[in-house]
Amino acid sequence: MRVDPLKKSIWVFHLNTGSCNACDIEILDVLTPYFDVERFGIKLVASPRHADLVLLTGPITRKTLPKVVNALRAVPRPRYVLAIGACAVGGGIWYDTYSVIGGVEELKKILEENGIEIDKIVYVPGCPARPEAIIYGVAVLLGLVEQKVHGEVKIAE
Amino acid sequence: MSLKKLLKPFKLINIARKSGVVTVLYPYQKPLITIEFRGKISIDATKCMGCGACVNVCPPNALTLSRRDDTIILNYFIGRCIFCGRCAEVCPVGAITVTHEFELASTSTRDLNEGLVHHVEKCSSCGGRLGTTSKMLQYVILHSPASENYVHLCPDCRKKRFVQSLAMKIGARTEDYEG
Amino acid sequence: MVRRSVTTVSAEEIINMLREKLGDIAEDIRYVESAGIIVRVKPINLREASHIVHDVLDAYFRTMMAVDERPINNTFAAYYVYGLDNKGINIIIETHADPYTPVLPSIADIVPAADWYELEAWDLLGIRFKDRKLHRFVLSDDWPEGLYPLRKDVEYTARPSPRIFYKPPLQGPRLPVGPYHPALHEPEYFELFVEGERVVNVEYNGFHVHRGIEKLAESPRFAYQKVPFLAERICGICGFVHSVAYTLSIENAAKIEVPERAQYIRSIVLEVERLHSHLLWLGVACHLLGYDAGFMHSWRIREKVMILAELLTGSRKTYGINLVGGVRKDINMDKITAIRNTLAWLRSEFTKLADLVTSVPEIVRRARGTGILPRDEARKLSVVGPVARASGLDRDVRRDYPYCAYKDVSFRVPVYTEGDNLARVLVRIEEIFESMDIIDQLLDKLPGGPIMAEKIEVPEGLIGVGNVEAPRGEDIHVVLTGRGRPYRWRVRAPTYQNIPALKVMLRDAPLADAPLTIASIDPCFSCTDRIVVIDLKTGRREKLQTVSIPGGCGCEL
Repeated sequence: MRVDPLKKSIWVFHLNTGSCNACDIEILDVLTPYFDVERFGIKLVASPRHADLVLLTGPITRKTLPKVVNALRAVPRPRYVLAIGACAVGGGIWYDTYSVIGGVEELKKILEENGIEIDKIVYVPGCPARPEAIIYGVAVLLGLVEQKVHGEVKIAE
Repeated sequence: MSLKKLLKPFKLINIARKSGVVTVLYPYQKPLITIEFRGKISIDATKCMGCGACVNVCPPNALTLSRRDDTIILNYFIGRCIFCGRCAEVCPVGAITVTHEFELASTSTRDLNEGLVHHVEKCSSCGGRLGTTSKMLQYVILHSPASENYVHLCPDCRKKRFVQSLAMKIGARTEDYEG
Repeated sequence: MVRRSVTTVSAEEIINMLREKLGDIAEDIRYVESAGIIVRVKPINLREASHIVHDVLDAYFRTMMAVDERPINNTFAAYYVYGLDNKGINIIIETHADPYTPVLPSIADIVPAADWYELEAWDLLGIRFKDRKLHRFVLSDDWPEGLYPLRKDVEYTARPSPRIFYKPPLQGPRLPVGPYHPALHEPEYFELFVEGERVVNVEYNGFHVHRGIEKLAESPRFAYQKVPFLAERICGICGFVHSVAYTLSIENAAKIEVPERAQYIRSIVLEVERLHSHLLWLGVACHLLGYDAGFMHSWRIREKVMILAELLTGSRKTYGINLVGGVRKDINMDKITAIRNTLAWLRSEFTKLADLVTSVPEIVRRARGTGILPRDEARKLSVVGPVARASGLDRDVRRDYPYCAYKDVSFRVPVYTEGDNLARVLVRIEEIFESMDIIDQLLDKLPGGPIMAEKIEVPEGLIGVGNVEAPRGEDIHVVLTGRGRPYRWRVRAPTYQNIPALKVMLRDAPLADAPLTIASIDPCFSCTDRIVVIDLKTGRREKLQTVSIPGGCGCEL
């Protein structure tokens, strides 16, 4: 049974896969009086079983890989993931070291092998991602706005 | 109970009353950005000459230079950019500017790539590939005008011309070697 | 930064004292201005030398760096760095091990603080330590044996394919914790073994944030001027501290003259970072005790500091203005006015908040007398920062080993002797007021001039030590320079030294005090910390309420 997400407020679960914590305190900042995301009904929950959206930060280190797979498996369908920060989107400044998987792009392959499907992923670049950029990312996920970046190729004159 | 104990909760109410409502209603009001904020960079296609100074200095390798056939492609991957602004500092022609854009969310990483394609110059004598762009040659000529005589030739043709001019000076004859 | 020549006089005295105490076992004693007094000993004499320096000379242990020096002199080397209170000089014990089977004696019984460093050297470099148990510490459990990432013959991209496996739960009277919890927020989780309501033991399972930063800085992809950006992202809350410590260590080693104005700008930004970090911690501590109003007000005040940081440097966090030899951005009159206005507003608001927090009975009664760390235990474990100052140890790197512009300002260092949670809260509150004073003094004395050094050349083969007082304690970087990039870079973040103190603080304590005690050392990891409670008597296993300790910095490479 699919629940139309636009009809209900999104409950989020914060998953830190080895990040430096700058994006994580910006996520917490979104809850504080200056940005106050609770006016949209978005709430931070304690267990992935209650969550609709997983806020994933960090480049996914080797040590956290099994736990991340477990946490994502526990989220009931429909599953959405918001990859926040340069580390989650492209692996960050350490995308090719021995101890790092490399962000959500590389994680998708491992998730497919384990049979976990994600319905929609939205990528929010930034180092760290501003609170306003996170709110914009959630709006793109819900389909409220169109994204502004398009991959473009220019020819030099 | 003393008066002080009774008045204790009022401290918090006082603070709350004085500070009021501070929320910035973001989509409906402007975000809290200062003038120094570093957002996405934008590369000017008319100025960039494909030298690769920005590629050398970028810590996460978000700017990459690759060659395909007879083009050089400068690729900017927004997903890995750390918004440090070093590329704008070291660009010799000032083609990179730092904007205030931060609304960069997207549904696929392919949309986060921006490319700039340069054509590679050909040698004016033998037609082989030079490996640099025409703008870079103009930059070199601008900074050292004497180089205009040989900068459009590939290294092999440069050697041949040098040997020919040397031979003309001493009056010897040169023969073209084929192969 | 050029060191004052006053210290060379006392360096002579210390060298003479070392010569007479150590006698024959010291093969070579030399004084390097950028690092300290370096004493070379043979591995069999390491225990005696450590005993003399640590117990007889009363030095405190700062860090240990293990290096693969096989390309240089065909040995594995280990450098143990000790500091002397109030003298401003380091004593470094250097020892070399065999390149084919590197073995060193363990000093974990003489210097309890060295326990973790030996485990790390075993995990990452393969140096074995005698007479102690060695186990997997930093790397993940599925990492193959025999592959040591920090050795020079292993590529930084060496990635054996990851395997996801599940450890079966152990049986028996001593109950371990279940392997993986559905919502386990790494990085660390603490396992508390309890009897009824009293905590009996603490096990710590960490290093989930290990990203291979030290190896990355030695790789061909990096250069001296790119590493400050890497260092800043070691931790998202106190990142600028790591960036400054790295650049100080290189500038000390290569004797680069950094202009005065750049030093002042660095100090101002460091103090702004201390303000935001302590305000963040105060909000988190209030939230843990159930006082959410304090959390919201503290973070409301902190937002103005973040906006000020963005105006000064260009980004709310991970400032990116530091380079070897100076800074990239200057301060003009508009920015100075903005700083002064923000400080004036901050002073009035924070006085009200501090007054409120210290008068609420829930906070005061729960914090007083809990999580006590006695002075001698604190000294043995060499804890740093507010944790040390709350237990009676008068240590502050800004005053003892002055760096940047701190030699020109005067400030008070708060020291309490009780060693409980309330003392740690009060130390941090007082440090916020002192920080605001320091920024005012720095702005008054700001000199003119350039902001970048003219000649930046880094020769090979030098050793440099840079230390900075982070909001969480003392942060120390040791660097061996190579060609174009560091040969070996050792980062020791403050929480690395503080976490072993939790074993002492949580012993025999009631369970309800555990969340506040763990948060009071200002742990360097972001977590929704899930504390699992094992009742040894009944064998039941239950999860405590999810204690959200948001914030904390990922200072564990």
